[in-house]
Amino acid sequence: MEAMKGLTYRKINEDIASIGHRVGKAWLVVFGLDLLVLTFGICCWFYQLFKGLGVTGYTRPAMWAVYITNFVFWVGIAHSGTLISAILFLFRAGWRQAIYRVSEAMTVFAVMTAGLFPLIHLGRIWFFYWLIPYPNQRQIWVNFRSPLVWDVFAVSTYFTVSAIFFVVGMIPDIAAMRDRETGLRKKLYSLLALGWRGTSRNWKHYAQTYIYFAAFATPLVLSVHSVVSWDFAMAQNPGWHSTIFAPYFVAGAIFSGMALVVTLIVPIRKAFKLEQYITDWHFDAMAKLILFTGNIVTYSYLVEFFMAWYSGNPYERQAFWDRAFGPMGWAFWVMAACNCIIPQLLWKRRNRTHIPTLFVITLFVNVGMWYERFVIIVQSLNANFSPWIWRGGYKPTFVEWGITAGSFAWFFMYFLLFVRFLPTFSITELKEILPRPFRRSRKEKAA
Amino acid sequence: MKRETGALGVFEYLDDAIDAVRNLKKQGFSVQAMTPTYFHELEHEVDHTRSSTRWVTLFGALLGCASGFALCVWTSLDWPIITGGKEIVSWPPFVVIGFECTILIGSIFNLTALLLWSGLPKFVEQEGYDRRFSEDRIGLWVATAPDRARQAADLMRAAGAEEARVAGA
Repeated sequence: MEAMKGLTYRKINEDIASIGHRVGKAWLVVFGLDLLVLTFGICCWFYQLFKGLGVTGYTRPAMWAVYITNFVFWVGIAHSGTLISAILFLFRAGWRQAIYRVSEAMTVFAVMTAGLFPLIHLGRIWFFYWLIPYPNQRQIWVNFRSPLVWDVFAVSTYFTVSAIFFVVGMIPDIAAMRDRETGLRKKLYSLLALGWRGTSRNWKHYAQTYIYFAAFATPLVLSVHSVVSWDFAMAQNPGWHSTIFAPYFVAGAIFSGMALVVTLIVPIRKAFKLEQYITDWHFDAMAKLILFTGNIVTYSYLVEFFMAWYSGNPYERQAFWDRAFGPMGWAFWVMAACNCIIPQLLWKRRNRTHIPTLFVITLFVNVGMWYERFVIIVQSLNANFSPWIWRGGYKPTFVEWGITAGSFAWFFMYFLLFVRFLPTFSITELKEILPRPFRRSRKEKAA
Repeated sequence: MKRETGALGVFEYLDDAIDAVRNLKKQGFSVQAMTPTYFHELEHEVDHTRSSTRWVTLFGALLGCASGFALCVWTSLDWPIITGGKEIVSWPPFVVIGFECTILIGSIFNLTALLLWSGLPKFVEQEGYDRRFSEDRIGLWVATAPDRARQAADLMRAAGAEEARVAGA
């Protein structure tokens, strides 16, 4: 908070609204490279469309693999955005104001990325609408008892609500940017600000509805990753059929999402010289949350192994033995090192507030959480009830890696455009942190 | 279009603006504030009633809940086939759909209420609006006839407005 002392309302407007003008050539270079990777990903996807899913490494029994891993990974990434913007809003956590816009944007773009993967995984994407309940000449309906249909409802609701929350939150800030701009930008912002003037009437209904958006988003964020976890837990496959999955997935989602928030905020803070806004206090708070959720995840890993042993079920025991010591055991150890061991460095305050150290730790967490989903999906499928199909021969092909890289480029394309054209930090909420502009102190008023 | 007449006050300090609102209201003026961020102290002085958007949101959430369950039950009865050994109308899995629809429709109604109640989108110019009000100044707009506007401007000046004038006349 100390670092925010030199700020004024006017300076906040100047600093935040000018970010789009300060991006320079570096932004263009990064954006160009990003589009190149995205183009490669799209080419890989077209190749898969023409040739069929045979170009992937799918081998029985691993018929869910990297695409579903990516889906769960990106849905997880989306979660901390809503946690910061909605849950911490309801709990009035003061450190959220400086970082919530970035994390909200991350949420929306991550859900947009996650939503691609079930469609890519379908293979015949032109039949995707079969997932939607609509009256049809075959006179059949979707199966509402299936977690896959729950997923359609959960993810589409999550995207819609997150997008509304994100856009509504930006309206006063876009109005502030409109008032500073000229020409085409002014026209664009005037349109997006919907005529916001910060009147009593505007604020009265805005403040009330914003609380309700937060109140809706809070249970939603917990439900969506629970529903995603039930895609697995509802099946009787060893390694999947567990009641711990919902809380375990939610904690993992916040863990990975918070790590990506730090990964994204560190370069933005450096590039736009926003050290006054995002201080050691913010990084310390985020690092504590990473440590806390990381330990929940570690505990969940241990409980899974314990329950496999304690159940006396030979299939469960075999699945978890294979998970750590089977042919793909290396993936488990990458996951354990990144998610369980490396985050322990955050017990030390110096590591929580030393930005390069924290940045590197979050990169490891990002990698570790991708591997967590890979381990849960591929390794569990590889150790199911039928030993005759235990081949463990699944290897991702260049098509899967290309589409995965393309998904990161897709996410970063939106994020780069967001930094370039929209208020990256909340102008109005940053002002709420500053002391109110009172002429007289409380004592003077009382006198 | 005919311009609205009234008095505009520009304030640097929140307590000055609050004093001005109190004095103006005592004299029977209706005041609209324009602020760069949400100042609950000022908003409470201007209009202390609660937003009624909450009833629209509640209605939307209940409608969403009912329609989510209704969709599941009706489609299951329309094409009755047993899957996974579950009953045709299996309430526990339908809770997921009911819950998601509650949130989805409730949020859409909440957004609609926000737009309707706060008069957005509004692309015509707000009388008295100044770009400083999205930066670091507080504006008070009193819509009134030109003869009374001068009195309102004087009241705002007396309360500490750094600028007070009759506008739109």
